[in-house]
Amino acid sequence: MTDRPRVAYVLDPRFPGGTSSAVAEEIAAIRPLVRPEFHAVSSRMFSGQSLSPALAAACEAAGLDPVWDAPLIAADTVILHNPAFLKFDARLGRRIIARELIVVTHENFLRPGGAEGFDVAGCLDRIDRGALALRKTLAPVSAHNRATVTGWAARNGLRPGWSIAAEDWFNICDFPLLPPTGVPRDRRGRHSRPGFEKFPPRRVLDLCFPPDAEANVILGAEVLMAGEAPPLHWQLHPFRGLDLARYFEMIDFMVYFTAPTWQESFGRVLAEGIAAGKVVISDPATAAGFGGAVIAARPEEVDGIIAGFLAAPERYGMHVRAAQATLARFSADAFRSRFAAATGFAGGVAA
Amino acid sequence: MILIEAGERSDRSFDAKLLLATQLSARGHRIVLDDRTLPDKLERYQKYEAAPYLADPDRVTVSRVLLIGAETVGQDTLMALRSRQVRPGVPVHVVGRFADRQGAIAARARVAYAVGREPEVVDLASLQGPTLVAHAISPLAAAPVPASDQDRTPRLFVVLRQEALEDPMVLPLLSAMDQLPGYRLRVILPGKGKDQVKSTRHAQLTVFGLSELSPATFAARADIAAFFGDGVPGERMAAFALDLMRSGRVAIDCTAGAGLVAAGAPALRGPEDLGALANYVQHTVLVNRREIGRQAMRSPWIAQRSVEPLEAALGLAAPASPAPASPVPAGKRPAGKRIVFLPTNGIGLGHARRCALIAAGIDRGEASPAFAAFPSCLPMLRAEGFDCLPLVQKSPDHPEDHANDLLTYLRLRHALAAGDRLVFDGGYVFDSVLRTIYEKGLEATWVRRGLWQAGQLQGVTLDRERAFARVIVPCEAFAELNADRGGARVHSVGPVVERRALPDADARASGRERLSARMGARFDDLVVTMLGGGVAADRTAQTQAVAAMAEGRQGCLNLVVVWPGAAAPAGLHGWKNTRVVQTRDALSLCLLADLVISATGYNSFHELLYHGIPAIFVPQMAAFMDDQERRARAASDRGLAETVLAHEMLLLEREIAAFLGGKAERVRAALRATALPATGNRAAAALILGKEAP
Repeated sequence: MTDRPRVAYVLDPRFPGGTSSAVAEEIAAIRPLVRPEFHAVSSRMFSGQSLSPALAAACEAAGLDPVWDAPLIAADTVILHNPAFLKFDARLGRRIIARELIVVTHENFLRPGGAEGFDVAGCLDRIDRGALALRKTLAPVSAHNRATVTGWAARNGLRPGWSIAAEDWFNICDFPLLPPTGVPRDRRGRHSRPGFEKFPPRRVLDLCFPPDAEANVILGAEVLMAGEAPPLHWQLHPFRGLDLARYFEMIDFMVYFTAPTWQESFGRVLAEGIAAGKVVISDPATAAGFGGAVIAARPEEVDGIIAGFLAAPERYGMHVRAAQATLARFSADAFRSRFAAATGFAGGVAA
Repeated sequence: MILIEAGERSDRSFDAKLLLATQLSARGHRIVLDDRTLPDKLERYQKYEAAPYLADPDRVTVSRVLLIGAETVGQDTLMALRSRQVRPGVPVHVVGRFADRQGAIAARARVAYAVGREPEVVDLASLQGPTLVAHAISPLAAAPVPASDQDRTPRLFVVLRQEALEDPMVLPLLSAMDQLPGYRLRVILPGKGKDQVKSTRHAQLTVFGLSELSPATFAARADIAAFFGDGVPGERMAAFALDLMRSGRVAIDCTAGAGLVAAGAPALRGPEDLGALANYVQHTVLVNRREIGRQAMRSPWIAQRSVEPLEAALGLAAPASPAPASPVPAGKRPAGKRIVFLPTNGIGLGHARRCALIAAGIDRGEASPAFAAFPSCLPMLRAEGFDCLPLVQKSPDHPEDHANDLLTYLRLRHALAAGDRLVFDGGYVFDSVLRTIYEKGLEATWVRRGLWQAGQLQGVTLDRERAFARVIVPCEAFAELNADRGGARVHSVGPVVERRALPDADARASGRERLSARMGARFDDLVVTMLGGGVAADRTAQTQAVAAMAEGRQGCLNLVVVWPGAAAPAGLHGWKNTRVVQTRDALSLCLLADLVISATGYNSFHELLYHGIPAIFVPQMAAFMDDQERRARAASDRGLAETVLAHEMLLLEREIAAFLGGKAERVRAALRATALPATGNRAAAALILGKEAP
């Protein structure tokens, strides 16, 4: 047991969204391979000192006690998740000593159009100054995320000793797979956290959720609920206002577009929809990360796509089952292989 | 139009938006503020400042959006931006002093998510360098104000904290400074400071509330300003100091923390002790004032913080100052000076009538008089050939007592331009009038008839006199009634009164014949009753009493004169010898009358007097009116009329009988024999044009 390589996870565990969920799944997946440690960092991005529920459960299941704000973090490999948590800090605030430092870039470095997503240079500089490692690697989580990282690096350059991982450090999507309905209806929905970035302009929403649809269920709709006069044919629910299972029972098509100035880096929410047995439609850039499992469309095309499935219900089932099969690419097994390849930790002994 | 938004919805943010709106508007940019962002509680000054810019942005064409204070962008603002659906191609600028790169990136991203496209970021920290006021929301850019008259005595503004008044020596020191030659002292105080000073024996000091005028208006009026307190006293005074230095005037930093000088501003380091300021100003500043101002104006520090770099960063072309609209269409506006008369409606139409008489004395080749007037005055003024800008009358149905004055302000602001002249006739100078004079730098005249009741002419009323270049006091006919407090800018002129040629016996007889035919009543005695419209006092009983008297006299016709549209006392139509006449030309009837029973307003009184018409005066008295009883008694004490108070009904009956029984002719003879002062109509007109009174 003690000869297994030491892998230290470093992140601010108070991220409420995808980062924490991804890390929780990851800890569970790599637990048999290595000796994980969990270093919680109190960055200025959040207040309080409570782990996200997903992470807390993962740590408990793995028998890990989170270490808060250790001044020194030493391990064979240190995996720092989401460097954006340092964006409000002046420095890393601790020393990291490792053979390899892997920085998993959960947030896109660039937004659509090329604007910087956060102060990338500042965050990477803080990590670089605080870490002593033979190799420092940026690990994108998806093809799109990779494109923003390489795009940023091409524009700004990387410090000596830094490189970009060849393979994506994807989010594990081991969701239970539910069978598709045999009689799909024009029941549409979307769910997300309630930030402005998650919502396209009203014009796009009107196209995606029209009055002639049987149902339009929008979960996490605080932005729309606070706006002026949302249409009566939209069922708006606040974030966590509906149990996710209940929400998925209410829809057959998940239609997911975001603000044109923002894009999902991985799109965990889309994987949830696929696993729940729904046809998922999104913009081409977001859909690209799922290799056909998510139907790429422009908002104007959504009605036609849905009409096509309603006219041929058997296609609906075929599409969902095929999409669910592609989720195997993001399974825990697949991640372990990817992890082993990236770190050389294949089964307890360093390669 | 440029929509200015602020990151947060707060009183401070709204004030910062106002500051920028005022500044950019003065530069000729068209600004709109979202009326849904008004704070719940708005100071009165803010309402006037904000009124020109408030609108529903969905109802105007927004060509650019400026989001100031973008260091913190709240949900309300983001929601408004999202729901506004800013049209494609409309630039959105995110303006702030960002602590670091992440701050700018985050602000940009938040706005980008809400509006669905990328805004431009203007980081004031890099554009302007450190600001004078920590956490300022407004961009605080220095803009030039119009050049002041080089020959005027310099105006020294002293900016104090309200707590300064706790020092018992402060007001005596200011009063002592106020007596020194070489400059004119003005004091700026926040909060209730102004009221505090006005309630002391130092009330003669010229004091402004800190927010009473915009910083640019203060800067235009100041040549030197000395700032006291711990540091630069807020964004408004920082903007004042910046405009001042940018305009080649002198800012003296007397703050304990040397806030201006420490920030690098080209201000003088003055004494922290108010007692030392007078000597410092006289011996250091005044002798070098122009050179100090020149150095400040040329300072790279000021250049960096000037409005031009800000305009460039915001993509704003600096347009020429807009030509304001005029009550007279531009194409029809005669060449020469434009003079706008604003008579308050008051009770009756006395102010408007007086203004019309003065305006008629202005040579149209020299200046073109026009009116801004309330609805009741418009027909009369238009009938006399004047162009009129209609104003909205005060109403109990308005949500606030000054709601109509806000509209007056908007209309005056729109109609008047620098170089125009404004003539105000009324007792209390409205905020709208005061602000317009200051903001437009108008040469203004206050026509202020005398005969105030005890205690009326004081405090705020007189304080506002300082905004005017001159005060014209149309005299009363009798010397004992003329007791205006006087002063350097107060000019007395003869009574402003209409003069008509008196009809000779034949003309009078034929006039009475025509009137008889028109009224369908033959008469030997003609009585004209004009006791007022009933607004100040109900004169129904007196009017009915006169009608009853007339009814009892064979061959008597009583004409009750009211203004067109005014209500006549009920029940008059039942009397056979009484007729109700609606006319604006009461004087024509009075010239034919044997007796006039009249209220004692300035115009009626003097018209009757100067045309030698026998009258019984029934004064109207109200707290807000002139002292009509004194005026009436001045005439009756001389045997030139009779005074009957409203409650003296039996006396009224006796006097009517006496007048119609021969007293009227004796009074007419006495009037003919009395020398009255020359009228002041032309003198007033000359003074308004800046000439010596003839």
